[in-house]
Amino acid sequence: MTTTHVAAPPKPRVAAPSGMSIGDLARRPETGALIGTISVFVFFAIFGGGQFLSAGGAASWLNVAAELGIIAIPVGLLMIAGELDLSVGSVLASSSMTVAIVSGYWGAPVIVGIVAALLLGLVVGFLNGLLVTRTGVPSFIVTLATLFGLSGLTLGLSRVITGTTSVALDPGPQAKQLLGTLVAGKFEVAIFWWIAAIVVIGWLLHFSPWGNWVFAVGGDKESARTTGIPVQGVKIALFTASAFGAAVVGVIQSILYNSAQVANGQSFVFNSIIAVVIGGVLLTGGYGSVVGVVLGTLTFSIVSQGIYYTGWNSDWAALILGVLILAAVLMNNTFRRMALSYAPRMKKKG
Amino acid sequence: MSLKPALRPRWALATVAVLLLTTACNSGKPSADSSSSSDGTPAAAANAASGGTAIFVIGGKSDDPFWSKVKRGVDDAAKVVQAQGGSVTFLGPQTYDNLGPDAAKLVDSAVSQGAAAVIGPDWVPEAEDAAFKRVVQKGIPLFIYNAGGIEAANKLGALNYIGSDEYTAGKAGGEFFGKQGAKNVLCVNTVPGASNTEARCRGIADGVKATGGTSKQLPMPSSNFGNPTAVAQGIKASLLKDDTIDGVVTISTQDADSAASGIQQASAGDKVKLGTFDLDESQLNRIKDGKQLFAIDQQPYMQGYLSVSMAQGYLKYGLELPQKPLLTGPAVISKDNIDSAIAGAKAGVR
Amino acid sequence: MVTPLLELRDVCKSFGATDVLTDISLRVHPGEVLCLLGDNGAGKSTLIKILSGVHQPTTGRIEANGEAVVFRSPRDASTHGIATVHQFGGTFPLMTIGRSFFVGAEPTKWRGPFRRFDRKFAGGIAVQEMQSLGITRVTDGDRLVGGLSGGERQALAIARAVYFGAKLLILDEPTAALGVKEAAHVLRIIMQARQKGIAVVLVTHHVTHAMTVGDHFAVLIRGALAADFRKGERSREEITDLMAGGEAMAELEAEIESYTKEGQL
Repeated sequence: MTTTHVAAPPKPRVAAPSGMSIGDLARRPETGALIGTISVFVFFAIFGGGQFLSAGGAASWLNVAAELGIIAIPVGLLMIAGELDLSVGSVLASSSMTVAIVSGYWGAPVIVGIVAALLLGLVVGFLNGLLVTRTGVPSFIVTLATLFGLSGLTLGLSRVITGTTSVALDPGPQAKQLLGTLVAGKFEVAIFWWIAAIVVIGWLLHFSPWGNWVFAVGGDKESARTTGIPVQGVKIALFTASAFGAAVVGVIQSILYNSAQVANGQSFVFNSIIAVVIGGVLLTGGYGSVVGVVLGTLTFSIVSQGIYYTGWNSDWAALILGVLILAAVLMNNTFRRMALSYAPRMKKKG
Repeated sequence: MSLKPALRPRWALATVAVLLLTTACNSGKPSADSSSSSDGTPAAAANAASGGTAIFVIGGKSDDPFWSKVKRGVDDAAKVVQAQGGSVTFLGPQTYDNLGPDAAKLVDSAVSQGAAAVIGPDWVPEAEDAAFKRVVQKGIPLFIYNAGGIEAANKLGALNYIGSDEYTAGKAGGEFFGKQGAKNVLCVNTVPGASNTEARCRGIADGVKATGGTSKQLPMPSSNFGNPTAVAQGIKASLLKDDTIDGVVTISTQDADSAASGIQQASAGDKVKLGTFDLDESQLNRIKDGKQLFAIDQQPYMQGYLSVSMAQGYLKYGLELPQKPLLTGPAVISKDNIDSAIAGAKAGVR
Repeated sequence: MVTPLLELRDVCKSFGATDVLTDISLRVHPGEVLCLLGDNGAGKSTLIKILSGVHQPTTGRIEANGEAVVFRSPRDASTHGIATVHQFGGTFPLMTIGRSFFVGAEPTKWRGPFRRFDRKFAGGIAVQEMQSLGITRVTDGDRLVGGLSGGERQALAIARAVYFGAKLLILDEPTAALGVKEAAHVLRIIMQARQKGIAVVLVTHHVTHAMTVGDHFAVLIRGALAADFRKGERSREEITDLMAGGEAMAELEAEIESYTKEGQL
């Protein structure tokens, strides 16, 4: 304790901002996810052969990734903020049924159906957020309740209204162009919506000041509250966003396949969480990145589609996925530990 | 399996459904016992009162699109029964949430209301068989229809089984495919491991084999469930991988929609023919437009119509048919008979 | 007499029928370290929660610069320059130092929809402020907070509070989880803050640490102010006895010693 006086603070010795080194790369949250994506791509490029690498092959996993990604990105944000959303499956089903019933069964203009479906997503998400923040019940439980409740409501209402569980829809050329066409006969237009979501949400999380709040809320809710962050508002916004993402995919699928089924979407519940976790987001919150979630989504899609290009029995696909999840999480843990223990070597005092 | 459209949403929530079913079976039995012990003579009394035959039919909800066709058959056959001085009563559950025990209660209720003959589907043998046995013990003629097969009918002591058989239906589809020149048929199974879907694909394989071709199954892991994009892309990938495939069969109408998209994205529309189990409007339209080869119909109308006619013939004149089981399907709908199928659909019997 | 920065007058706090604090009157002056001492359950944490706006007093009042104030929330308290730093620094282990430093008050550059978090500025300021508190090991604002030592995290939290204009720092057991050397670092930082004219309320049950930096001591026993004295007015033993709830610690220590001797026989 030699310096008890602080007349003039010593000149800060800030590390010079040099280019990305291996060390810098290793402490980014998406490094594990990048390795995962590259590994599965190389794996299936070897065993899947030329067709996997063709445009049609790329379209296979990009189309699946785009729809999953539109849900996984907001779900990832929510997980960074320390909450889960299991209700996306039912939101997807109810939104796709809404657009099909409003515009297909009742014959309203397709734009009315789309707006109604998206509004439904916003309302469900808002309610999820409100319930979680007001009651203090864990989001796992609240959104599990929404998952079941909404699926029952969708099934019940669609049977009461239409007498069936699957409704046809003729969306018309404009809606088809915008949401449900195949570019070059292969690539879903959803890919472009996914890219838009990546850019906008990536900006919000990593560049806008608001993104800092998301990390803070997930890192330590109480500390975040004492710094004046509207914790409840942030969470409600994020729940609303994840349900909105699911509603968008519901609309896209209805328009792409000209019909809606009440049973659709349930696989998105776990697939979105898998993509997010493979992408290096910490399940308990506070850590992750949009780029990571994108890579996790790609990894998941490459594995789930790549298996069909190998010619192997796809009974094994789920096994590969299970192993992949475990490997990815272990790898992500390692990289997170490296990031935590990272400290530049002390420069010699001059 | 005729109830499939109604039960589909629950596959996603399979665990819970199984739990519900198990508990429901346990709680359902005691009440069924008590209601059956309180009757005895009413059957004869009712018969005497009506002066003819009182036939009771247990079925699904009448607003279920499948069951509304069965009920049309029941209603049409009932006209003959009424003309001969008898009556036909259709009993259906309010919901499908507690199917087995509810159906068992309906069987007991039919007996206590003085049924002269009972027609019922054996959906959940564990829950329903006790009630069916009570019918037989009282000497009331019993017909099993729609679900259970001739094995269930023989076990319970029923006179006959009226309905379809998954394997037979598959075999008919496979043979039809083979006759149309398909040599390598892919059977897309989105619910691998379920006995009815496995039987369908096994039937397809044997049918194609009988005409000199081969067929293999494409099992879709549960991570694809309810996601038409994943199913479509998986089918596309399989077509790209193996360009000798010239036929695709799906186990449900929604999967057929996905398969149509997958075939189109693989640019294989000219070479790869599509067939499916079950039919709805979009199947009929595709067959009409030449984009789909066939759909396999189990003809629900005939299940209702024939069951009631058989019961009436037996009660009134002791008539019995040598065909056991009495199969109502499969009927293969292709461009040859599409116009009459569309007319039937408009009339509400197909 | 100088107007105190913050003054509590006859503050009582009860939760239901339980009285947690009774008639607490305290004054905090700028550039002074007030050590709040007391055993577990004496009401220290309730008292700092009242100071930081988490709880409101049941009766009694709080004055800031001679004017009555009501803190309805931590945010209310912080607008009056009161900042609380908890045992583990209240920081976010998986955020970078720069981001963590500016949580809730993010510096931005660019405008309109492209207004973005100024990472370089945030990192630079955070590192500079920590270095001014003598934490020279930290040079990179992009490092994760979780990679810092306990003392460095305390320093980060204190630096943050000071940077955002805190006039009163409440430190809740800042040295409890730290080693000897780290604790000394934190004590030095407290002195540095004091020298800047900041009032510090130091909650601790480490008497030595309190005596090293404290100007003014308040001892809580079962929710009441048992003693209120200036530096040098009491000996270490007296303070220890007071903290133990008035029971003579000497007797207890003698008894412990007797067991040690028996063991040696």
